[in-house]
Amino acid sequence: MSLIAASLAIITVDYRAGDEGPLAAAGRAVNGAIAPLQRAVSSVVDPVSNFFSDLADLPSLANENDSLREELEDLKTSQQLNQELTQQIESLERILGLQATLTRTAAARVIASSVSNFEWTITIDAGSNDGIDENMPVVTGDEAGPRLVGRVVSVTPDSSLVQLLIDRGFVVPGKLTTSQEAGTVEGRGAEELRMELLGPGIEVSETEPESVVTLGYEVNEQRGLYPPGILIGTVSRAFSEPDGVESIVTVRPAVDFSTLQYVLVMVRDREGDGTT
Amino acid sequence: MRRAIVFIAVIVTALLLQTTVFPEMSLLGVKPELLYLVTVVFAALRGPAEGALFGFIGGLAQDFMLNMPKGITALTLTILGYTVGLARHYITSPSPLLPAILVALGTAGGVAFHQGVAFLLGEEEGPFGYIAKVVLLTAVYGAVLTPIFFPILRRASAATHAGRVVRF
Repeated sequence: MSLIAASLAIITVDYRAGDEGPLAAAGRAVNGAIAPLQRAVSSVVDPVSNFFSDLADLPSLANENDSLREELEDLKTSQQLNQELTQQIESLERILGLQATLTRTAAARVIASSVSNFEWTITIDAGSNDGIDENMPVVTGDEAGPRLVGRVVSVTPDSSLVQLLIDRGFVVPGKLTTSQEAGTVEGRGAEELRMELLGPGIEVSETEPESVVTLGYEVNEQRGLYPPGILIGTVSRAFSEPDGVESIVTVRPAVDFSTLQYVLVMVRDREGDGTT
Repeated sequence: MRRAIVFIAVIVTALLLQTTVFPEMSLLGVKPELLYLVTVVFAALRGPAEGALFGFIGGLAQDFMLNMPKGITALTLTILGYTVGLARHYITSPSPLLPAILVALGTAGGVAFHQGVAFLLGEEEGPFGYIAKVVLLTAVYGAVLTPIFFPILRRASAATHAGRVVRF
């Protein structure tokens, strides 16, 4: 009974205190303690799953050796890719005319995913020691440019919790690239993203899917945490509300979250307000 | 002391597996709820008082890794541990399937209760269909995993009171 009372007390205290309370500090301590273990486990997990798939094929030792060598090559390439990404995004930011002196990025590896089936989050192996703070945008991408992954929701010295774009409760202002229509993009969990607040009569061509990118100003008091021009996804379907006042489109995220390994956190300087 | 070490070791292991290994091994896109499984098994082995205590500690640890008001999982698992521990006294079936059945029922009830409390606190929740799917699949997954984890947990449970026997 006392434990139930304690749980209820914790819910109440935390609900009221939010991110400042003593419980949030305790939570950070727990996450800080478990992150090194997650890092250790996740560095072993991938080789193990490869090991299992090799076992199914019953390969010879030479085969296994080859596959390991290939894997090493892959790892090297992905490491190079990661460095390339850092430079890529930095140069992109300059081109976009962002405050290049105020924005830089911190690269991080994904070391764990959410403990729950109802939250879409990941844990990355970089934290406040790398200059990461809450609400910073997290991106990934390739030569074509950055793609939005999510935002940082809590940090410990060496790890951060990232709320993914697809999480329920994730809201980001976005705009359609060809029609320039602006709206808010919301995460829908297991479903595709939804973009609302669009003018009526939006049509989507089946052949050339329209892209949705982040927008750098306020929409409905939702402050633009994100630099403009980060790719969110492509429009998959458009429909109107029964009252016909606004259109809604569903958006397929540009990032494949199931294979996400490395991300970049767009670090803002504390003193300068890096938001645009 | 010994009990605390065993409890913490089991909880940390369960959380690690839950966040690193099992996301890769999901059942139709749903991962198991290991903490629910472990709480049910401990409660069944040790009775309502220890079941509730284990549920509270484990739930609180899991809460700290979530991005929602803390304490919901702690409340859920405290009640789950207590209920299963109590129910166990009234079940005399010697069936070897009993732990799996308890885990399935406990997980389904626990996950549904957790979502109910989260809903009352105004958290963003998924559509009913998705919640129903998660409740069902975590229950099935838990039941499937029980035969694997049960022997390990029984030994861990036995280790919690070995100290009392040795002490003189």
